[in-house]
Amino acid sequence: MKNSFDEKILEEANDWLNANQKVVLATVIQTWGSSPRQVGSRMIVNETGDFSGSVSGGCVESAVVRECISLIKDNKPSKKIEFKVSNESAWEVGLACGGEIAVYLEQIN
Amino acid sequence: MKHSQLKEIIKKKASKIEFAIVTNLENGLSEIYEPGKSLSKEFEIHKEQIDNFYKLKKNGVIENTEIFIETYIRPIKVIIVGAVHIAQYLVDFAKSLNFEISIIDPRGYFASEQRFPDMKIINKWPDEAFKEIETNENSALIALTHDPKIDDPALQHALNKKFYYIGALGSKKTHENRCQRLKEAGFKNEQINSIHGPIGIKLGGRSAPEIALSIIAQLVSETYKK
Repeated sequence: MKNSFDEKILEEANDWLNANQKVVLATVIQTWGSSPRQVGSRMIVNETGDFSGSVSGGCVESAVVRECISLIKDNKPSKKIEFKVSNESAWEVGLACGGEIAVYLEQIN
Repeated sequence: MKHSQLKEIIKKKASKIEFAIVTNLENGLSEIYEPGKSLSKEFEIHKEQIDNFYKLKKNGVIENTEIFIETYIRPIKVIIVGAVHIAQYLVDFAKSLNFEISIIDPRGYFASEQRFPDMKIINKWPDEAFKEIETNENSALIALTHDPKIDDPALQHALNKKFYYIGALGSKKTHENRCQRLKEAGFKNEQINSIHGPIGIKLGGRSAPEIALSIIAQLVSETYKK
């Protein structure tokens, strides 16, 4: 059975919106191989780059923050991004663990 | 996602309703799914697969589509008997793990609101208190008073209702006596052996927060086994 352990990210997103911040919700929608966070893991990002929650073990969060900020700037509703195994030249946006993940970004407004 | 929808999701979570969110990853539209309720046309054509994900309590993308489903299930009910020092730390751990806690303690001076702010405390004997809580095999019991008058009726209720986790605080000797009493009350060895006593994983600590941590670690571990 699926457990009900929940990280209360949606509740935090609501608090941010009530404080008039722009919020992008990032959700892990697919994983392949060994990935640190399971499908459904979430992170929120505001227009200044503050973030809460996680979609990996710290491997791709910085890239997700950048993507979320540009989504707000470009005023786009949503976007899907994939992260693959890292290599030395692109260590910052890869998963050191060797897995792959797809993350869905959506603005809440 | 619209802010109004986010608010609706949070409301459903707070009222412990089971549901799912379905999202079209191509156009960003999302809806709340509940069994028996109809969805809009674009999701209705995937109804069968959505139902399957929902029944299996699974998250994921439906194969060969751009439809993502996330299911929400009710938090697990954990009943703590004994509003003692350890319980105060258990409440903190349980909150961050999204367990739904109820505390039972007939002793008013323990079960005060000042010691447990914002907590559901039932200031009654277990037999009376359990009439107010709906429990089943998805419930857990943590008995902390090591007073047979208070713990035993709660343990008996949990055994009868087949709680997936039952733990009782007390030394090996205390637990042996407890098992003997339950045997005399007509419970089978198999049932009695399912009680975790002495409660908690072996952590080595003796302070109240350390004991609370060892109990919550055992509870989470048993939650994954069920």
